[in-house]
Amino acid sequence: MRRYLRIYANFLRFSFSRAMAFRLDFFFRVGMDAIWYAVHLAFFWLIYRHTPLLGGWNFDQVLVFTSGFFFIDAINMTVFANNIWSFPVLVNSGELDAYLVRPVSSLFFISVRDFAANSFLNLIMASGILAWAIARYPGELGVVRVVVYVALLLVGTFLGYVISMLFLVPVFWMHNASGLREIRFAIGTYGERPHQIFHGWVRTVLVTVVPLALCASVPAQVLFEGITPALLLHVVGVTAALFLAFLWIWSRALRAYASASS
Amino acid sequence: MSPSLFFQIVSVEARKRMSYRVDFWINAVVGFFVQFGIAWFLWTAVYRESGAATIGGYTVNGMVLYFAAAQLLGRIARGLEMDGAISQDVYDGQLSRYLVYPAGFFRFKYAQQLGAMLPIAIQLVLCGAWVPLFIALPSDVHVTLATVAGALVAVLAANFLNFLATIPIQAVSFWADNVWSLMIAYRFLSALLGGQMVPLTVFPDWAKPVLTVLPFRFLYAFPVDTLLGRVSLLAWAGDMAILFAWCAVFGLLARVVWRRASLVYTGVGM
Repeated sequence: MRRYLRIYANFLRFSFSRAMAFRLDFFFRVGMDAIWYAVHLAFFWLIYRHTPLLGGWNFDQVLVFTSGFFFIDAINMTVFANNIWSFPVLVNSGELDAYLVRPVSSLFFISVRDFAANSFLNLIMASGILAWAIARYPGELGVVRVVVYVALLLVGTFLGYVISMLFLVPVFWMHNASGLREIRFAIGTYGERPHQIFHGWVRTVLVTVVPLALCASVPAQVLFEGITPALLLHVVGVTAALFLAFLWIWSRALRAYASASS
Repeated sequence: MSPSLFFQIVSVEARKRMSYRVDFWINAVVGFFVQFGIAWFLWTAVYRESGAATIGGYTVNGMVLYFAAAQLLGRIARGLEMDGAISQDVYDGQLSRYLVYPAGFFRFKYAQQLGAMLPIAIQLVLCGAWVPLFIALPSDVHVTLATVAGALVAVLAANFLNFLATIPIQAVSFWADNVWSLMIAYRFLSALLGGQMVPLTVFPDWAKPVLTVLPFRFLYAFPVDTLLGRVSLLAWAGDMAILFAWCAVFGLLARVVWRRASLVYTGVGM
């Protein structure tokens, strides 16, 4: 464990050095995410000008939910996103070889090697928005619920990473993952809306097979409606099941890997 | 550049974009229907919970159709496949090779953008054709051959406007190396202020005059409103004139910025 922490500390050092080499890009990224947050909030503000509720939530509740989503996205952009984007290239170019022969978990190395230091400021910004949204919430939330909410958001972040990787792993067999990546981006929007607006089999899929609703929306439901063991068990159970399924597919994928230019 | 060379570039780019056919169809069909589904769930929930019959002048079916049209036409207007292509050439030094080509750099790039747009246009027709099977055309939507033709002209002009508007942004790459974030920020802003995310009629009254003055509405709201039969012929002609005026403004700005930027180009890439 200590060895992995030491390796990760080196990843951080290299990432911050690299980010400082492109200083303008560093600030452009901050500006880009600030605009993304503003556009997202404006979108919901416009909708709530025409309806008092959306999926049973009022504007204050959607603000907390959306801020939670910003928080998850910022962690994902900082810790995983660069690695997930470059992963198919590693497979297709054969550069994955270099990761497989190292004396550390190849999945760990591939998933967290590139820490996006230029997104780190956005993580601080997103955390600030989340704290503000919770602080201005007019109802009673309680410390325990808030702590559980933040913990569930962290589980949701991990879940988002697993879902992204599951969409990309077929690159070992298909050799081109851009179509699947586009679908991942497209369906990602389902996680940006309160899950109560969906119904029928779509809602079932969103809380089980492609559990995007468990990332930010269900944690917000726990925050507003109270902690129920069944719901917590469902979130943790689905996350664990999906991660185990991913590990199984990953091991099969590595066996199918044909090395350089596969 | 001769017309034959121009169309040759268009053709090569279109074929390149369709080389991964599985990806092409996955992208087109699944991507569209996923987005369509979200719009349907979102807006039916909004209309149900608000109890309103119309919002921003649209019935629920009209609103979902607006969103579907904005997604499809928006992809053409944005020429998404070529997003950042100019800044990438500057970033990695590829711009140098265009100096020996028998064609101007911007004409070459625009031909490539048109080529990249052709497969998207096929996607548009195929996906758009299915929409009326899911949603009956409401009384506030009047799609005719004339509105389709008007929307086609409008969206082609919108594509050209977007191409010109992004040149000054991409030219920042001469000084800042990587402008990917600027392009994404531009896309977010234009999607909201141009009416791709929600119709401009949904905005509060105080914002509408501002949105009318900005060029973003020509990228999304104008072609979509034209398609859905919400723009009179006279208004369409007037808006087309303003759209071309914006093209002239951005063309001039692009020229000035590019001239200054070219002076700092080293041609070695990063």
